[in-house]
Amino acid sequence: MAEGAGGAAANGGSDEKVLDFLDSVDSYLTTMESLAPILRQGWFDLASARHSMGVFRVSSASLDLKDHSASTYLQMVGHESDDSFVGQPSFSLCKWASADNKSCCSEEEIPDSQLRHRGTSRLSENQEQNSNGDDSLKTVDDLVKKERAKTLSVFGTLVSPKLRTAQLSFETALEVLVEAANIRSSMLSAYSQVQKQMEDTREGEIGPIP
Amino acid sequence: MYGFEALTFNIHGGYLEAIVRGHRASLLTAADYNNLCQCETLDDIKMHLSATEYGPYLQNEPSPLHTTTIVEKCTLKLVDEYKNMLCQATEPLSTFLEYITYGHMIDNVVLIVTGTLHERDVQELLEKCHPLGMFDSIATLAVAQNMRELYRLVLVDTPLAPYFSECITSEDLDDMNIEIMRNTLYKAYLEDFYRFCQKLGGATAEIMSDLLAFEADRRAVNITINSIGTELTRDDRRKLYSNFGLLYPYGHEELAICEDIDQVRGAMEKYPPYQSIFAKLSYGESQMLDKAFYEEEVKRLCLAFEQQFHYAVFFAYMRLREQEIRNLMWISECVAQNQKSRVHDSVVFIF
Repeated sequence: MAEGAGGAAANGGSDEKVLDFLDSVDSYLTTMESLAPILRQGWFDLASARHSMGVFRVSSASLDLKDHSASTYLQMVGHESDDSFVGQPSFSLCKWASADNKSCCSEEEIPDSQLRHRGTSRLSENQEQNSNGDDSLKTVDDLVKKERAKTLSVFGTLVSPKLRTAQLSFETALEVLVEAANIRSSMLSAYSQVQKQMEDTREGEIGPIP
Repeated sequence: MYGFEALTFNIHGGYLEAIVRGHRASLLTAADYNNLCQCETLDDIKMHLSATEYGPYLQNEPSPLHTTTIVEKCTLKLVDEYKNMLCQATEPLSTFLEYITYGHMIDNVVLIVTGTLHERDVQELLEKCHPLGMFDSIATLAVAQNMRELYRLVLVDTPLAPYFSECITSEDLDDMNIEIMRNTLYKAYLEDFYRFCQKLGGATAEIMSDLLAFEADRRAVNITINSIGTELTRDDRRKLYSNFGLLYPYGHEELAICEDIDQVRGAMEKYPPYQSIFAKLSYGESQMLDKAFYEEEVKRLCLAFEQQFHYAVFFAYMRLREQEIRNLMWISECVAQNQKSRVHDSVVFIF
């Protein structure tokens, strides 16, 4: 009876892990499917902008090759090191960081050792200030608008609204990609737990080898 | 009123007017566009264009084609036709034809200066320049650090020299200054072209005044919409508008203070020719504004051919070809991106 109850609990736990895995697979597939139309819209908006502003104005020749800090970077927390698995990796996007403003839209701390950036952008005390109150939200909005405009300024400062729409589409696509990476990470973690569970169950059934 | 152009125009301009009217007859028709819109790949587009005058320019291009290749080759055809007309033109038609290309020259100057600021290779930038706007010393633009040097080293010997008096400063060139320089130069060019056409008089003055006024008004609207939400002040915005056109001066005063597209609509709907353009758009929308303006422009350009013995047919032809190239670029992009359902968003039929 006790063994039956224990077995039922173990099965319930196993089923829960499998369900978690299936849920995460479903989320991953849904997220990846949502990415393609966003990218399509971004490319279409870019073509509209080239049509509006002229193909000679919106071209790869306008892109800036000077050394400059990244305006957006990816933070990864939790990774496999040599012998230990620190935790399932999670990714977050720090958008529109600026060397001038020294602030970022993300609220998370970014450990310097894990950063990949070329410039001097780093979080400052301003982050705490920016997370509070409507005034600070407006400040963040203004900063974001300014950074967006700065990125597009390679094509000129008076650009068509279609180019700004294209920028937003690709920004959204980047967010979806990071979200997909996080879901994939949790999916792989759930899978490894299911696998471990199955191995434990198999060992339990076979028993110790004499 | 007109002079006795019918008596004397054909002496120097008759042949070229006949040539340009022949070129006009070879513009793509609605049937051509319908065929192109049904293409599945860029090679299909190339196949359909092989039966047109673009055929010889595209026939040697290898697959896979790119949309930029189609645009480049079609532009080459326009450049060849233009140079053919220019070399046979006498004054004042030759000066008139040169005026048509100064806009491209300004764009090329800005491209070289901006690209140099961004540490691009000069040779790469020269390949991206519009062929109609090339001049001999264009590569030397890369050495200038500010507008004064730009003018002194290079542009003083070009047709753009007179336009620089309004924007010569010793400030270093940066993105905002370059944009203001671009628009200030273009404003000065349009006003100069307008004055030149007025001096020519007759049908040329009348038709070109209408076309250039429309161009000035459209520029004012585009500058307004593109500067919403940017750091450009109202005064700076106002200074970029041309000093002629239907919107000058009261419409410009209203446009200068607009903060969103609905306020722009409110300012423009007071003028009957633009009321019909904005009537095609829903409130808060600006996506189809470009197409609405292009359609109006094409209508006016086609009307230029209804009259004889004037130079506006040359301007109209060049602009109609540029519109055709824009159409081909748009169709190619929609085919390449598998977005054929959106192809009619921006194609403007000429006939």
